Amino acid sequence: MAMFTRRKFVKAAGACTALGALASISACTANTPKRASGGGKGRVIVIGGGYGGAIAAKYIKLADADIDVTLIERDKKYVSCPLSNEVLGGDRNIDSVTFGYDTLKNKRGINVVQDEIVAIDPDKHTVKGKSGKQYDYDKLVVSPGVDFRYDKIDGYDAQAAEIIPHAWKAGPQTVTLRKQLEAMKDGGVCYIAAPPNPFRCPPGPYERAAQIAHYFKMHKPKSKVIILDAKDKFSKQGLFMQGYKKFYGDMVEWVSGAGGGIIEAVDANSRTLVGEVEEYKGDVVNLIPPQKAGKIAQIAGLADDSGWCPVNQKTFESKLHKDVYVIGDACIAGKMPKSGYAANSQGKVCAAAIVATLNGQEPGEPSYVNTCYSIISPEWGISVAAVYQLVDGKIVGVKGAGGLSPMNASAATRAIEAKFARSWFKNVTADMFT
Amino acid sequence: MKNRKARLLALTAAVIFSGSLVAEGVRTPSMLANTCAGCHGTLGASAGDLMPIIGGMEKEFLQMILLEYKTGERDSTIMGRIAKGYSDAELKAIASFMADQEWVSSPVKTDAKMVAIGQKIHDKQCKTCHEDNGRVQEDEAPRLAGQWPEYTMHYLEWCHSKGKRCAPRKMGKRVMKLSKEELKAMAEFYASEK
Ligand SMILES: Cc1cc2nc3c(=O)[nH]c(=O)nc-3n(C[C@H](O)[C@H](O)[C@H](O)COP(=O)(O)OP(=O)(O)OC[C@H]3O[C@@H](n4cnc5c(N)ncnc54)[C@H](O)[C@@H]3O)c2cc1C
Ligand code: HEC
Ligand code: HEC
Repeated sequence: MAMFTRRKFVKAAGACTALGALASISACTANTPKRASGGGKGRVIVIGGGYGGAIAAKYIKLADADIDVTLIERDKKYVSCPLSNEVLGGDRNIDSVTFGYDTLKNKRGINVVQDEIVAIDPDKHTVKGKSGKQYDYDKLVVSPGVDFRYDKIDGYDAQAAEIIPHAWKAGPQTVTLRKQLEAMKDGGVCYIAAPPNPFRCPPGPYERAAQIAHYFKMHKPKSKVIILDAKDKFSKQGLFMQGYKKFYGDMVEWVSGAGGGIIEAVDANSRTLVGEVEEYKGDVVNLIPPQKAGKIAQIAGLADDSGWCPVNQKTFESKLHKDVYVIGDACIAGKMPKSGYAANSQGKVCAAAIVATLNGQEPGEPSYVNTCYSIISPEWGISVAAVYQLVDGKIVGVKGAGGLSPMNASAATRAIEAKFARSWFKNVTADMFT
Repeated sequence: MKNRKARLLALTAAVIFSGSLVAEGVRTPSMLANTCAGCHGTLGASAGDLMPIIGGMEKEFLQMILLEYKTGERDSTIMGRIAKGYSDAELKAIASFMADQEWVSSPVKTDAKMVAIGQKIHDKQCKTCHEDNGRVQEDEAPRLAGQWPEYTMHYLEWCHSKGKRCAPRKMGKRVMKLSKEELKAMAEFYASEK
């Protein structure tokens, strides 16, 4: 990509650079915004080095090395949610889903800073870190992922989540949940409370149920996994139910929202979930709460009443603050689900829009893709894919494209899809971190 | 097997009737091709192990197989679903973009014994079409040298199961006679040729 776009930019900038110094570029290009001092063609700050943010930072640099890019991430290491369900299943360890930022720093020329952003001033074009430092930007990309609506479930909060982990941000919580599963006696029950729409990774809770059942089948065959769902249907449902039945028989059970699956309160100490009619006391309880855009998006006034961030779906520029772009789980992206692949794709569209704008050009027509693989059993993978385009300002799926793995696929095909799932993980994380 | 020109012609005729599904404005090749990177790696340089390297493959070969994925003529687990999302002109643009990238061979370590077995079979049965140990891409044969061995193996097993219906027929007939061990040796051999 670098070559094509850069050639175009050189041409566009040519008239200006002919005048001499770099500074004259901004004087030449009509619709260039006011510059923060220091960056060649401008300064971009990206908040959050996950599936969306790492990609936006890298692809801005790939397209135009003269743009100054700073990636600000709270944590030293990134722990990936995708494939973290295999940590729960026991087929991989947490290190295999943990990544560092060295290559982005050393090879890609991105200024990686460890800090947590606590405030954004969209008028002054600055953000403030917990460290006390202030950072200036011309363009700001925000990819903070999700935050939890603890208030929707009585008795649940960050503290209760240490006993009843959500493990919906991979890391220590994933390890806690895994340890609880290991410590559980055979014959125990693990409840997974699945959240209402929209939420991060629609197939995620159902893949998790399968992975936990996979562990039980090998080590605790008298145990059960029961999904208590806030919804009456879910992603790839037919394929999941088929897989559950084939591998786990009645070890996995799904209770729909209408069937009593909606959870209203919790008593963490007794590991009890309180539904509308029934109470469920589990040996291990994984409560995945309702969600909203990441905290910094809420603080900065980037979210609307829905809790998510409205954006121009062509560029991902916020509809509420100019020069601020929101990508990934936090944004409202038409028909795209909240997934890692979607965040990756949005990161690239957003990067191209920012590069174009900083070069005084109109953002181009976007193209987006999503794919979610799920691993039901080590040799049984399924997928859902979609290709998207912009129609009347909204992201919609291209008709006739995408869709699910076929219901009647052979065991060999399912086995190869499970392998493709793991290979996807290698590539999508290499796309982010190398 | 039909030659490439005929295959491309037949494909173009077939897809014209699928109508124009896509896009209000023109989308740049990089915009389109970057959507592939989540699976095939940045600029098509796959980080492994089953997803194939596609950056640096020959343009017309890429164009042809993308169109074949789109029409369903070529078997796939997922590429059919993906390729249907782009117009023929866009697939062409993507093919050109990927072809312009540098081919980055997989860094995988190979087993010398297996490589030697593979080399022997290659010299006898594959060399005429996959010249310079699978490095040359011309006519219709894609690059094999440096591809991830898992992918080459996946393809060869598929070809083995198809037998004579694996195109080109001459290759299918040879591949179907190879044992699983020998197929593995082929995959190792091509992976050792960077
Ligand atoms: C169990 C599970 C399985 C999943 N499996 C898949 C899958 O197979 N495929 C798939 O496509 N998707 C999957 N997903 C979804 C995927 O994880 C998310 O959609 C994706 O991570 C979204 O990317 P993001 O950039 O929006 O957020 P994240 O990837 O969460 O990145 C946000 C980053 O921002 C940082 N951050 C937040 N606030 C601040 C701040 N104020 N200052 C500095 N840094 C901050 C965080 O530390 C974090 O690193 C799964 C999710 C779960 C929970
Ligand atoms: C969701 C993952 C995914 C995405 C996205 C994807 N591919 Fe693929 N690609 C695959 C898989 C898996 C295969 C192997 C065939 C199959 O089973 O579908 C493949 C095979 C191929 C091949 C054949 C390579 C060979 O040597 O035989 C080409 C070419 C290709 N893809 C190009 C592309 C292009 C171009 C795009 C973007 C428009 C793309 N792919 C997007 C997963 C993906
Ligand atoms: C008659 C010429 C011919 C011979 C002989 C031949 N091949 Fe091929 N091979 C081709 C062509 C043409 C293709 C592309 C087919 C297509 O994609 O439609 C191909 C494709 C392949 C591929 C898939 C590569 C990819 O990335 O898609 C592999 C692997 C392969 N050949 C291995 C072999 C091996 C191993 C042998 C020897 C046992 C062999 N071939 C013999 C012509 C030949």
